Amino acid sequence: MDMAKKSQPKKSAPATKAKASDKKAAAPKATKTKESAEESAAIQQAKSSSSSKKGITTSSTAEYFSKNLQQVGFSSQVKAVLTTLKEAVDNSLDACEENGILPEVTVTVEKVGPGSLKNSDQVRIRVEDNGPGIDPEDVPKVFGEYLASSKFGRGRCSRGQQGIGISAATTWAQLTSAVGARVVTKTEKMRKAVRCIVEVDIKNNTGVLKEKDSVDWEKPHGTSVEFLIDGRIQLNGEAGLISYLNGTTLVNPHLTLHYKLPEMELHTVERVSNTVPEIPSAVEPHPHTMKLGEFIAHSHLFGRVKVGAWLKKGFSRVHEGTLKELNAAGIKNGIFEKLVDSLHESEFKELFMAIQNIPLMAPSTKSVLSIGEDAMAKSIKRLGAIDFFSVVSRKPTICDFKPVQIEVAVARLEDRSIEADAPVQVLRFANRVPLQFDKSACAIVHAIQSVNWRAYGLGQPKESLPQGPYIIAVSVVSPFIRFKNASKETIDGSDELVEEIRRALIQSGQRLSKHIRKEVKANELEEKLRHIEQFCPILVAGLARITKASDSRRKKAEDGIAKLLGRDARDTEKELKAAHDVLEEQTAKASQKNSKKAAEAEVEA
Amino acid sequence: MSKNLMSSSDEIPKLSKDLCNRLLQDLERAKRPVLYATKCSLDNAIYNHKVGFFTPGSKKVATELNVSSVKKMSRAIFMLEILLRNLDTGAVNTKRELYYISKGEIKHNPDLKPLDFADQDESDEIIDFICELLECYREELNCYANDRGGQTYSQQLVVTETLPDGDKAVVDLSKLGTSPFQPKNRPQNLKLSAKKKIDFCLIVESEGTANTLVANGFTKRHNSILMGAGGVPSNAVRGWCKLIQDQLRVPLYFYGDLDAYTMQNIFRTLKAGSASSLIRNEDFSAPEVRFLGVLPEDIKKYDLNDYPVKENDAQEVRALKKASDAMKNDPFFLDKKNKGLTQILKWLLEHKRRCEQQAYFTVDPRDPTMPEKIIVEKIKRGDYV
Ligand SMILES: Nc1ncnc2c1ncn2[C@@H]1O[C@H](COP(=O)(O)OP(=O)(O)O)[C@@H](O)[C@H]1O
Ligand SMILES: [Mg+2]
Repeated sequence: MDMAKKSQPKKSAPATKAKASDKKAAAPKATKTKESAEESAAIQQAKSSSSSKKGITTSSTAEYFSKNLQQVGFSSQVKAVLTTLKEAVDNSLDACEENGILPEVTVTVEKVGPGSLKNSDQVRIRVEDNGPGIDPEDVPKVFGEYLASSKFGRGRCSRGQQGIGISAATTWAQLTSAVGARVVTKTEKMRKAVRCIVEVDIKNNTGVLKEKDSVDWEKPHGTSVEFLIDGRIQLNGEAGLISYLNGTTLVNPHLTLHYKLPEMELHTVERVSNTVPEIPSAVEPHPHTMKLGEFIAHSHLFGRVKVGAWLKKGFSRVHEGTLKELNAAGIKNGIFEKLVDSLHESEFKELFMAIQNIPLMAPSTKSVLSIGEDAMAKSIKRLGAIDFFSVVSRKPTICDFKPVQIEVAVARLEDRSIEADAPVQVLRFANRVPLQFDKSACAIVHAIQSVNWRAYGLGQPKESLPQGPYIIAVSVVSPFIRFKNASKETIDGSDELVEEIRRALIQSGQRLSKHIRKEVKANELEEKLRHIEQFCPILVAGLARITKASDSRRKKAEDGIAKLLGRDARDTEKELKAAHDVLEEQTAKASQKNSKKAAEAEVEA
Repeated sequence: MSKNLMSSSDEIPKLSKDLCNRLLQDLERAKRPVLYATKCSLDNAIYNHKVGFFTPGSKKVATELNVSSVKKMSRAIFMLEILLRNLDTGAVNTKRELYYISKGEIKHNPDLKPLDFADQDESDEIIDFICELLECYREELNCYANDRGGQTYSQQLVVTETLPDGDKAVVDLSKLGTSPFQPKNRPQNLKLSAKKKIDFCLIVESEGTANTLVANGFTKRHNSILMGAGGVPSNAVRGWCKLIQDQLRVPLYFYGDLDAYTMQNIFRTLKAGSASSLIRNEDFSAPEVRFLGVLPEDIKKYDLNDYPVKENDAQEVRALKKASDAMKNDPFFLDKKNKGLTQILKWLLEHKRRCEQQAYFTVDPRDPTMPEKIIVEKIKRGDYV
């Protein structure tokens, strides 16, 4: 189930430089995920706010999450480290993007000592960005208060969605090492940076500042946040930190990332794009994508407004004409005049059923954001030495009435230390956040398995992932991604979504196969040349012995066979050249297409 | 080239030299040599009941020398040299031994390293390829398979074998007690004679059952030759049956399971050869052999235990599938002279049941000679196909 995809009805402007403070004050919030934890806490909050107009009761929210951290990514020692890092990096990237800043992020993860929990280490995680910085008065809210987000369920493709992330990390730090988040932040307007420790007052869901201080910081603006937590550092493998950082660089071509991980040198990955992705403005939820419960929860976000106004403002593709159609379908006009918070559940139900039967336009695809083939092509080379690759950006489309854009990159790694029959490396992204757990149930993996990769020259056991030194990266961007479980690690795919991903994969497979074909031809040629060299003398010598032929006959035959087979080799050479040309043509076409796209984009702008 | 078991000993070396000469000549002229071999498959198999066995049609498989085939050709010439040396010295080998001999050659001559066989399948393939090129039997290249199947019993049969050194060995089968005579892969060296008139030759599918019949006195009571085929007949069994048919001119009867596998893979091969051995069927099939049983009507007549084909009986399920194809495109089963046999296949396809040769033992469980009685009665009454 998708939770009420609500936005802040009164605040339609896409918050550039929005302050966390007005976010919280502006409207009650709801989450837009389906998780019970976020959902129940959010609904609770929404409800309490609509019943008691002032004095939002948030006390239960922090308490609820502090007891249910496993539901939001803290279910194991390994995950705790990854989630903390992820939340901080997500926030840095979101903040930069919202403010048109090219992000430069420095990540440090280090082992400090033994942890307080069994089998754990004390781990320090620091993420520093060159983002806009945080207004000092918002700092306690950002790091110490749940549901204080600027991005609440606004139906946008931002990484963070509901303001649980970073406060959960603070809570975990507090629970395991008795210190909250260490923050240094500076906005453009400030001369000095603010340094402090933020802790969550769990009983009251507020942030508490400690050791507040003013310090010099050479950065014009930015934020550094540091957590000391119990956890375990896993560097390698699909669930490892390296895979997370690789994935993050891949889908953020505009990011410059420095990272220092235990037992590794400081690494720098330079940006390959100088454009900050434009986050399209929010969209309201589409009624056909909702369930009754979500529909009702959605209404709670609006307090005392008329039903007619709620329907028109709170949903996309619902307008005056829709109300007329609803009326024709048996909904009394009086209902539209009622206040939404006075509707009975039976009335909600009636309304909900009626609206499901009215044909509505599919939601707009304008709300999705793409990385772009060009940028991805450059970005993928940052993952390591690559023989060749192909990238595909599908046009934004509608799946299950939700706008979505699929992008795929497939690359072959030069590194052959991986066993040839090991499955390919799969990188999955939901709104540009890498997904690293519960792979097998994910729609992306199902789509990959459904493609016949053998047709493109890859090995693939029946109904499995293809094999070999390849990376297959699939990015799903949508303001409404449906996840399978609470930890948001698997995309729940309808047949429609899987099919859309599959198409992207097939396109990229076809492009890739041209490279593979060329390579096969090159190998063929090499083998043929080797054959000629090796077997011709042996064959002729054998024939000469059996026939007791003279030396001069043998010589002549050797020349003859060399001439003969040389012709074959030249044919192969020609085929190789043809395969090469096909590839060149494809590349030329692609770059032509891209420059055309760029030109179009300019015109639009 | 007409195949004849008695192909003179220098025919193969001569053919080989001619072939090599032609190859060399083409190469000298920088002309691409093309080698032709008989296509050995059902679509090139001709069956005429007057001939009695599958003969090759006109289809040929062409192998031309090019970058891809140069390895195979080089290997073939390399192996041919070994085989020619064997023919010269009279040495014989199995395919497996030839594999090791080739390994040894390569070990002693590092220049030949590119030819090295990774496993015996590779060298076997090359030996078969040579046979196809020269249109000869493996045995003509002094390469013999393990003799398998064909254990034979008789009180009347005498076999005279000419040994490579010219000596003659005479085997009187009645002197072997309960031991069987094991026919060889080289039937051309055997001469058969009968001490007393032999009435018939019975070929039993199971060697075990053949042995039982003999132990219970079959060959004592009947002037006969009794042979166990041992499943799908080997070349030894096929050549041996042909020899018995031609040299002794006795009627041959086959007694085995009633199922699609036996009918197509065992009996048909014995009688008319197979599509994959087109060039050797002439000397390796006995067209006069008749199918004595188990016949579909025997099940009722003798109240035999039959049972439905099990789904997990992969071999029989496959054979049934093949049978329905055979009814449409196997010239043997399409020939009206073999209508009786085709009728049995049809019955099997329709009923999907099978009945084993040993079912005759249920007729009178207390009488060990009951199967013998039934067999003899059937022969007497002409109760066969
Ligand atoms: N590094 C940062 N720079 C600027 N603003 C930030 C930063 N981290 C967090 N914020 C602000 O704090 C809010 C709350 O963050 P968080 O609890 O992670 O929620 P979410 O990311 O879901 O919005 C963000 O919406 C953003 O406005
Ligand atoms: Mg966040």
